Amino acid sequence: MSGASGHSKGSSVKDRADLALNNEFLRKAVKYTTEKLKGGKLKAMEEHGNWEEWRERGKQIRLHTIAHLDYYLNLFVDNARANGVHVHFANTAEEAVHISLSIAERKNAKSVVKSKSMVTEELHLNHALESIGVEPVETDLGEYIIQLAGETPSHIIIPAIHKNRYQIADLLSADAGETLEPDTKVLAGYVRKKLREKFLEADIGMTGCNFAIAETGSMVLFENEGNARMVTTVPETQITLMGMERIIPSWADLEVMATLLPRSATGQKLTVYMSGITGPRRSEDADGPEEMHIIIVDNGRSLQLGDPEFQELLNCIRCGACLNACPVYRHIGGHAYGGTYSGPIGAVLTPSLQKNIAEWDDIANASSLCGACYEACPVKIPLHEMLVYLRRRKVEAGHGNKLESAGMIGFSKIMSNSARFKAILKLGKMGQKLVARNGEIRLKVGPLKGWNSHRVTPSLPKKSFRDQWGTMEAEIRNGLQEMAPDMKNRMEQIVKNREKGGGNGHGHS
Amino acid sequence: MDMGTANQSHQEWLKEMEAASRAKQTSFIDGISAKLRRPMVTEPPRHPFRGAPDFWNAYEWGEQERIDRFTANFLSVGGHVERLATMEDAQRFITDKANELSAKYIVRQNQPELEALNLEGALPDAQVSVWNSDPEQFWKARAAEADIGVVIADYAAAYTGSITVLSSKDKGRSVSLLPTVLMAIIPVERLKTRLGEIMVHFDEGGRASLPAGIHFISGPSRSADIENDLTIGVHGPGVVYALIVG
Repeated sequence: MSGASGHSKGSSVKDRADLALNNEFLRKAVKYTTEKLKGGKLKAMEEHGNWEEWRERGKQIRLHTIAHLDYYLNLFVDNARANGVHVHFANTAEEAVHISLSIAERKNAKSVVKSKSMVTEELHLNHALESIGVEPVETDLGEYIIQLAGETPSHIIIPAIHKNRYQIADLLSADAGETLEPDTKVLAGYVRKKLREKFLEADIGMTGCNFAIAETGSMVLFENEGNARMVTTVPETQITLMGMERIIPSWADLEVMATLLPRSATGQKLTVYMSGITGPRRSEDADGPEEMHIIIVDNGRSLQLGDPEFQELLNCIRCGACLNACPVYRHIGGHAYGGTYSGPIGAVLTPSLQKNIAEWDDIANASSLCGACYEACPVKIPLHEMLVYLRRRKVEAGHGNKLESAGMIGFSKIMSNSARFKAILKLGKMGQKLVARNGEIRLKVGPLKGWNSHRVTPSLPKKSFRDQWGTMEAEIRNGLQEMAPDMKNRMEQIVKNREKGGGNGHGHS
Repeated sequence: MDMGTANQSHQEWLKEMEAASRAKQTSFIDGISAKLRRPMVTEPPRHPFRGAPDFWNAYEWGEQERIDRFTANFLSVGGHVERLATMEDAQRFITDKANELSAKYIVRQNQPELEALNLEGALPDAQVSVWNSDPEQFWKARAAEADIGVVIADYAAAYTGSITVLSSKDKGRSVSLLPTVLMAIIPVERLKTRLGEIMVHFDEGGRASLPAGIHFISGPSRSADIENDLTIGVHGPGVVYALIVG
């Protein structure tokens, strides 16, 4: 399965985390950027006001849409067709790739200019295009740099977060065939000029899709650089790859998403460009694509539908706020997660998309369960609860790690007398309560168990996870102490509801 | 195979693809219904949470505050704002700026209000092209080489500092995107408080009323992809003037 190829680069999250931690620059850059983004988000939230009400509204819109996804997706497809779009359905990554390549072959395409799309990353579409002799060109500045380096993005919003300007100058100089100064303006100027030519000569423009509006069949893109507009304005053919859950009912609902997404992602009131594209160019228009395709991709998404523990994953609007809030992400960076999606959302989404808990089990452990991801999420996805479910499923499936259990014993010996860990242990207990049903605790070890193997594993390289542990521990501990009372109440409420035998609000209809 | 035949066979292929897609649509959507454990919903579901919260829909600023807030927001992201009383002032501003920047190529939308500015006459040294006025031209290239693109905003929103432009045969998407400098005239009565006041037109007008491209522009093109260092003008215009007129 192509989706697993990211995983083959390192054997486990811990190995990849060690790699990441050895790179001092990465750690600093990730920390700096995520803190900046997080700060921007907090400022934007405060400035906007009533953030909780907006969050709740965003959540309700997403819950409603997903609960009626069959209706709204069907409506979107009918309207998009009426607009003149060629709509395709792909159950699997292979089908989506096949359809994309067929179109490229039909159009005799030599090159495809792409704007940022996590779905095409998920499909490893660039690779597939190259295999039939079509040049894929990433046009987002960060993505272009990453493509030259032959790497994958490490942050959903700032993909080249792990590269410094000297590394970037080297890559772009090699591309230019001349030495470019490591000056941001010079480097960006080079990319602007180079990509102008690429936009004008490309046969196909390829995009992702932030939202698809069911009632008008429009697709919506948020961006800052203008490359997504280029890709949807200049080439004669447009192909949009869209996760089947990207739907919202109306433009009115888009106002809510436009309020939540940019503020949560970068702290902006709105991205520089927000484009709603409704079909190919009209017959008398002088720009815009003549032919427009939308490929609706499942690729594991339907596995979450109807699953009370994971359905809310489909509410995700891909803002990256949970990455910026996560103390673990801030320390290990995106590549350590090994999948297309990193951070807390990736930790849950990757195994969930692949229905492959055994192989991806270690990702769920790369989280402190501190709840910062839930608090940051603009549509209130309970990611920390999902991580607990994932660990429980792993244990139930018989994929418990023996070394980990042994580690847990050693760990408790070291820590049993330490008051420092009281806060964490308290949360551990709450985590247990969350997975306890009918008076039976199915998950025997607390949420801490993910940490113990890092803590006691010998032979870590110097300046690795162990050395960072001090800061991380402090951060997590502080985070815990600062755990908002309303969140604690919420977690307790969930436990109470379960005791009453009630559902957990996922089965919306 | 000549081009006509190639095109015909491509159209046939698209038809085949559509037939396959329609057949698959049923199983794809049915699969979703099955996962949701109920039959396919055919009636529009009640959507009690549609759009922004009520308190927000009642939110509205007076004209001067809309102008002030739009200006503050647009400036904060690196854009420029001019408050002008009349279209004659707008004409003067654009021609002065074009002379100051030694603009050689200017492209403008094909709209009567812009026609009335007579930029062609006012800027004898520059080549002013009118979007899509000649079917023989390759208009994307004309826009790509332009120093300045001139457009009239269909709407603007003060709360986010956004200009909205809609495409048509006379209003190219390229004109607000490809030139180095963008000049957008905002008739003051089109400046709203919230995005929702703009979007409501798209819901009310419905699918068939929408143009191919609706673009909200909130400042110059930017990127922070290199070491978080803000760069302006990465792909789109790096200099954007919002001219609020009236």
